[in-house]
Amino acid sequence: MSTHLTTKQKIWWAVGTVLVLVYALFPTASIVATSFKLPSELQLGTFLPQTWSFDNYTQILSPDGAAQQLFLSALRNSIGISLIATAIAVVLATFAAYAIARLDFPGKKLILTSALAVSIFPAISIVTPLFNLWRAIGLYDTWLGLIIPYLSLTLPISIWTLAAFFRQIPWELEQAAQVDGATTWQAFRKAIIPLAAPGVFTTALIAFFIAWNDFVYGISLTSSDAARPVPAALAFFTGASQFQEPTGAISAAAVVVTVPVVVLVVLFQRQIVSGLTQGAVKG
Amino acid sequence: MTTTSTAAGAVKANTETATDRQSGRPRKRRSDRARAEARLGWWLAGPAFFLMLAVTLYPILQAVYDSLFRYRLTAPDDRAFVGLNNYAVVLSDPVFWQATLITVLITVVTVLVEVVLGFALALVMHRAIKQLRGLLRTVILVPYGIITVVSAFAWFYMFDINSGFVNSWFSWVPGINADLNWFASQGTSLFVIIASEVWKTTPFISLLLLAGLAQVSGDLEEAAQVDGASWWQRLQRVVLPNMKAAIMVAVLFRALDAFRIFDNVFIMTNGANGTQVLSLLAYRTSIGRLEIGLGSAISVLLFLCVILICFVAIKLFKVDLSSTRGEK
Amino acid sequence: MGKRSRWIAATLAVVLGGSLAACGSATGPPVLTWFINPDAGGQAVIAEDCTAKSGGAYRIDVSTLPRDASSQREQLARRLAANDSGIDLMSLDPPFIAELAEPGFLAPVPADVAERVSQNVVKGALAGATWRDELVAVPFWANTQLLWYRKSVAEKAGLDMSKPVTWDQLIDVARTSNVDLAVQGAKAESLTVWINALIESAGGQIITDQGVRASEVKLGLTSPAGEEAAKIIGTIGKEGLGGPGLPTADENASLTLFQSDSGSFMVNWPFVWSAMNAAVEAGTLDASFLKDVGWTMYPRTSADKPSAPPYGGINLGVGAFSKNVDLAYQAAECIVTPEHQAEYFVTNGNPASNTTAYDDPAVQKAFPMATLIRDSLQASAPRPQTPYYNEVSLGLQETWHPPSAVDPATTPQVATDLITAVLAGDRLL
Repeated sequence: MSTHLTTKQKIWWAVGTVLVLVYALFPTASIVATSFKLPSELQLGTFLPQTWSFDNYTQILSPDGAAQQLFLSALRNSIGISLIATAIAVVLATFAAYAIARLDFPGKKLILTSALAVSIFPAISIVTPLFNLWRAIGLYDTWLGLIIPYLSLTLPISIWTLAAFFRQIPWELEQAAQVDGATTWQAFRKAIIPLAAPGVFTTALIAFFIAWNDFVYGISLTSSDAARPVPAALAFFTGASQFQEPTGAISAAAVVVTVPVVVLVVLFQRQIVSGLTQGAVKG
Repeated sequence: MTTTSTAAGAVKANTETATDRQSGRPRKRRSDRARAEARLGWWLAGPAFFLMLAVTLYPILQAVYDSLFRYRLTAPDDRAFVGLNNYAVVLSDPVFWQATLITVLITVVTVLVEVVLGFALALVMHRAIKQLRGLLRTVILVPYGIITVVSAFAWFYMFDINSGFVNSWFSWVPGINADLNWFASQGTSLFVIIASEVWKTTPFISLLLLAGLAQVSGDLEEAAQVDGASWWQRLQRVVLPNMKAAIMVAVLFRALDAFRIFDNVFIMTNGANGTQVLSLLAYRTSIGRLEIGLGSAISVLLFLCVILICFVAIKLFKVDLSSTRGEK
Repeated sequence: MGKRSRWIAATLAVVLGGSLAACGSATGPPVLTWFINPDAGGQAVIAEDCTAKSGGAYRIDVSTLPRDASSQREQLARRLAANDSGIDLMSLDPPFIAELAEPGFLAPVPADVAERVSQNVVKGALAGATWRDELVAVPFWANTQLLWYRKSVAEKAGLDMSKPVTWDQLIDVARTSNVDLAVQGAKAESLTVWINALIESAGGQIITDQGVRASEVKLGLTSPAGEEAAKIIGTIGKEGLGGPGLPTADENASLTLFQSDSGSFMVNWPFVWSAMNAAVEAGTLDASFLKDVGWTMYPRTSADKPSAPPYGGINLGVGAFSKNVDLAYQAAECIVTPEHQAEYFVTNGNPASNTTAYDDPAVQKAFPMATLIRDSLQASAPRPQTPYYNEVSLGLQETWHPPSAVDPATTPQVATDLITAVLAGDRLL
């Protein structure tokens, strides 16, 4: 489209942009506002807190906070389990995607179709047998007990995204480098890795988001802070007393776990978008 | 979310096959080389493939087996083979059909709203001037990245009769006043549940559609513009037909994803006021009540529903999933 | 290729090894893991104290369970069904004890321990820790609901609060004075608490015959008592006497409503007294409000029968698969001493199950209504004890919610049909 905008067009763009901003950020802003409210202000029915209080954050972060143990252990579990599940998936998927993109072998289609099929699998359908098996072999409520099912979430998407990325890599460069006298490994390292790395990174980011988001496995296959991830812990939060509504603490915890997401999104917007829509968006 | 993300792969696959085969190798000594290549291929791709199958195929087969027993975890001695009785109980129970109906309703409404909204967002992003493009895409990714449970809480607290502000903000709307308890009746509960689901997942669908938009040839559109076609006519005649494949795939994957809705319902109503969905029913039966047999039967039925949707989409609506193939 | 697969194997080994190593325990005295329901930190304090007092015999670590009673049960039942040896002590909500005791998930209480921990314990708490005539858990703290009221509202309505009041009287006041009754109408365990108290107060019972198998359980909902309970809940629901928040109101929402302008009467646990005091201290509630708050025995269902207030609380169970059953019972005895109970009462607002704890001056000072709580506990009635409690309670919640849809003519029958069918395995919940 042309770069010269009429005033009318400018107004339209301003309105459109504001609408998109409100759409995307309003619910987030709302929970941020809630997280700064005192318990007594929750009932006022206002959007913004009257006095900005950090009480809710002290509750989940300070050593003597009521929900600190629950939240921090959940955070540790979530980060650890999601990272490991992502790492395993990305490593395995890199090999698989390399094979799919570069080699000709029977069963390629089968692998891609299976990845597709696994990704539409309802988690709830396999959670009961997994729960039963895990308790029999002692994996219930352990990190490994979540990492394994998380692979069913992270592997298919990693295979797909990486295969798409790798298909776009001009592999001739490798041969060209070899012709120029580089060894196989040098050629791979100098010519291919710089091209493949962004794809691998983006895939890892997307896979991590998916593992980070899981709730079904998180509540079904854990029962203590030994392995309970953040989404499950949020649902189990408690207020200062047995019956107190944990609205403030949940909001604060929600904000804390959303901040990294926002940071990643801001930093890697371009990569995430291209990863999600890989192959279709040119350039 | 998983499905939707993989859908990206499905949408784009079309464009790719061309570049893929360019590095064609000489076809000499084919058999030897082919065999070595096949072996290498499976060595590389095998671990991922078998691990993927192991973590899904085995459990679902186990679920099928479990569903043939009367089996309650807190009464382990009472376990007995009952054949298809669990299925008979589930299928003859209005609770199951009610949950199915609600699940379908949520799926249909969510997908419809998301396609329209997602398309609008995609158009805005597609046409946006350079300075705005990055900003728009960044903010649109915020809901995408947020944990579904967090989204559920955010929406729940907005509408909650005790801590929410929606009632006081929108009291000018007929039917909304300070005494409206959104989570006390079916319609209003479903409204908030769907709103949260739509908010969280529309960005993804809009990115898919954005990718589809990028595929529509600009020349074609300009030609239509020169011919005097209005904006609406161009959208109808040029843009949409060219995006059909992208839209269909996006719809299918979002539908499959929405059909498994769990997090939002669990957090907001936990199935109260007729908002029970299939996933929640399966969860409450097998994990909550520890009725492994009955719960497995529901799980298997849910799985069959997903397959059915896939089948119908591919056979009836001719969603071209073969475009997802990695080769040829 | 071999190189690569070795590398994969190595990665996996590191990952697996790393997560397994995390399970290994440090040296020192045996660690007892106590699964606690969330509170204001009181159980953790007791755990530390008992660890110190044990003289190195054991160390108690606490692990927190989810917030609502049914999720707590879900977590524990799942772990115990997995023969989990990591559960030594559990804070158990009484109605779920039978379900865990029946399949032998709870280690038997040694006779001498049973005798010691039963002394001076209020009746309701003893009943709640007993299954098939044997003590299966150690009574810890006991909860009961009182009727809390705003003196100004009662006075204006001309209600004599020194005499027992009935639900009908409360309904009349709510109608005429245009105030809201704070009761728990959310589709949750608290609804079952309400239904049970209404039925027991009318002289009925939710379960009349235990039976041996699930299909033999007999229900007493379709009785005059059941109909009376349905009438009260239905009236409050239909006429909006519980405020618009009723269908989603849990204990905390009730307290909020009670403190609002339309607040009047509230049935709730004593934690509300601590909560209101804390709110005054934090400056979020006017101090004069406390002076207006009164308390009395749970309302009667029928004018001529004393009420049977709800009973709740926590008893301690010892996991059958624990490696340290004896130590766990030692620890349990330490946890439930009257001193600990009194301290827990004062600091966390959870009433003691041991009557001697009520003589503690600190208790009397923090809870001016301590004697009433003790009397209420003695008069209280537990929710039905059955290994199928979860099904019974969910079945009730399914059919008695929302309160506005409760009809004395049909609801008890519908509930009976549903629960019976569910127990027979013919229906889903």
